[in-house]
Amino acid sequence: MSFTLKGRIESRLAAALAPLLAACGLAAAATEWWPLALAGTMIGVGLVFEVFLDRRLDYQPGWWSLPLAVAELAAIMGIVYALGISAPLLVALAFFAGSWLLNLVLMHAVFPYVRLSYGEEGGELGRAGVAIAVLVLASLALFAGVALAMQPPTVRLSAGIHNGPLVLDQAQTLVGEPGAVVRGGIVITADNVTVRGVTVVGGESGIEVDGAHNVTLERVQISGALLDGIHVRRSSVRIRDCLVHSPAGQYGQGIDISFAFDLAPSLVEGCTVMGGREGIVTHFAMAHVEDNRVVGTTLRGLTLTEMSMAVVEGNRVENALGVGIYCGDYSECEIDDNSVRDIRSDGASGDLTRMGFGIVAHSGAKAEISDNSVSGVTASTKAFLGARITGE
Amino acid sequence: MSRAQECAIVGGGLAGLVGYATLRHRGLTSAEVAVFGTDADPARQWSVRAAAIRQRHMRSESDGHCAPRSFPGLAFRASLRRKSPIPLVQSWLDCYHPTVGEFLEHVEEVRAESGWDESFRRGRVRRISAADGAFQLDDLGRFRHVLVATGHPGLSVPPELQDEPRAVHAYEPHDYAEHVEIVGAGMAAATEWLNALGAGADVISVRRREPERRPLNLPRQLFTRRGLAAFHSTREGERQALLRGWSTPSYPAGRTWDEPVERARKAGRFRVAAGLNGADQVICATGFKCGYEHDPLLAGLVADHGLPTAGSWIVLEADSTVGSLTDGERTLSIAGVAGQWAFPAADTLMGAKYAARGFLRRVEACRSR
Repeated sequence: MSFTLKGRIESRLAAALAPLLAACGLAAAATEWWPLALAGTMIGVGLVFEVFLDRRLDYQPGWWSLPLAVAELAAIMGIVYALGISAPLLVALAFFAGSWLLNLVLMHAVFPYVRLSYGEEGGELGRAGVAIAVLVLASLALFAGVALAMQPPTVRLSAGIHNGPLVLDQAQTLVGEPGAVVRGGIVITADNVTVRGVTVVGGESGIEVDGAHNVTLERVQISGALLDGIHVRRSSVRIRDCLVHSPAGQYGQGIDISFAFDLAPSLVEGCTVMGGREGIVTHFAMAHVEDNRVVGTTLRGLTLTEMSMAVVEGNRVENALGVGIYCGDYSECEIDDNSVRDIRSDGASGDLTRMGFGIVAHSGAKAEISDNSVSGVTASTKAFLGARITGE
Repeated sequence: MSRAQECAIVGGGLAGLVGYATLRHRGLTSAEVAVFGTDADPARQWSVRAAAIRQRHMRSESDGHCAPRSFPGLAFRASLRRKSPIPLVQSWLDCYHPTVGEFLEHVEEVRAESGWDESFRRGRVRRISAADGAFQLDDLGRFRHVLVATGHPGLSVPPELQDEPRAVHAYEPHDYAEHVEIVGAGMAAATEWLNALGAGADVISVRRREPERRPLNLPRQLFTRRGLAAFHSTREGERQALLRGWSTPSYPAGRTWDEPVERARKAGRFRVAAGLNGADQVICATGFKCGYEHDPLLAGLVADHGLPTAGSWIVLEADSTVGSLTDGERTLSIAGVAGQWAFPAADTLMGAKYAARGFLRRVEACRSR
């Protein structure tokens, strides 16, 4: 069809009305903003594409809708990822596909059926088109305004030492200026908290997250905690680009995420953990553990246990005592593309499961592994007590 | 003076049918619309010409139909009828062209569904006179709104061939001699090359201009507001130049057209020449006469009412109405080839719809309704 720019925009916005309403319903049902953020991104990308295409195409054949949809989807997912919109991938894809199909049906059948001159007017919808376009854009502006108004406040932590523990019991974004240090730990008990760019020294745990959802820890540096570097209970967290260094206590872990199986999956990504008994450990939780580096642990490098479900991908585990990556106690683990090396045998423990193994499955756990690089170990993989390792 | 009736359509061909179906779709009754024509079958003229050139498929696509709504188009209908998605997929890929049989079947459906025969009155209108907020059509009655859809004013034959016994027009029934010269380079000529080659003839294509290769009569954007907005904003001289430029002969690209010609060329059975050289038969694939002056009804209308013209075109408003004879109470619109000033592809089904919808908007906005 040979669209006019006005026709492209009116048709696009009219076709976006139903997905926008669906996103409203989904947002209300899930009490989450991501459906609206996703719909807004789709509409925004769609409009940018329309303007771009209008300048280049006098005529757009029907079959172009397929490659254009792929390009649009790529742009949308890129923006979703860049903005950190927490839309589940499958739901986002289904939402896009449904909206695209609806768009096709509307533009090729419904609009030409309802409006006699739809084609010859280049996709313009007359007064109804303008009204719908205004409605959709006004709705988006309203949602964006409400979302912005409901954003938690941003608190800036100035450079220098602040005595803790800091207790964050309200939604907020805590941003540390360069040189901002909290001595004595941070405790987070509220949903929708982000801590960014803060150094934490000491404390029982460096950062403790308890009963909180949608918590993000970015570029935090933790050292000298008595117990765990980051201690997460009954919470869902995203931890990115952190450094956890040398827990001071004998029993401390680097990052411990536990008892959150019924909550949204947690993410640990791009972190470096040095020392501690276990570098990153989950108990009864769902987690993605990706692209981290764990060095010099005294019990295991990465541990997924007590019926956890975890994806462990792209991590480097080095110089651990006993076990590199451990999937235990009826957990289900997908372990891909990791590098495990120099795992020392823990002969002193007398524990035959700790004799310097790269990847261990234990007590009924199921580990599916692929493309891992394991070196400097007694054995690359070992399964004990009814556990199973597949894909070797 | 008798009370003016509502609408008249002057011309009983495909453009007339499109106009009629559009009016009926929006609620005008058969009693409110009179159609004047010489044959009750709206496809008669067209199908005679299509048969003469052995046309099998339409050049138009799924949207090239007579129904008032664009959807469902012919591809969708064909998919339903054949219980196959293939026509829809072809349409999606811009390679669906309905067969002539399918198209004629569709015309029959529209004719029946619209109630065409209830409104059809046999007779040729010779004069349209504007008077007292309406139009007098000969002694056939007064009508407030008139859509003129008289079609092409006649076949065009080059002057040097008018008395030539070897010559036949492509749109007249004919067979093929052993050596054939085909004058012209448009869609009809290209069809005739293939027909004559298929019949075993040697073919000489006589042409003054090289044809353009495009899927439709005109670039696609000229069928929608995208191209029309710029066209409508042109001044008179520029618009004439554009219309003349777009009259270059054309036919679609593709192997269907090229391969038989190429094979024949290699076998010495097809060649191009600038002039005639005495073959057994000359087929004039030279289309139709151009210009309102060849249509007695339109020529009279222009002369009687001093309508503005530009070259061979009647100057029309963007919605195909005649501005000086259209106001809040009456409408005179021109559909078909004579409506090119408003819609360059006026002699297509899309053009007929464009004029019909413009006419409908005027009728619906009329103060007397």
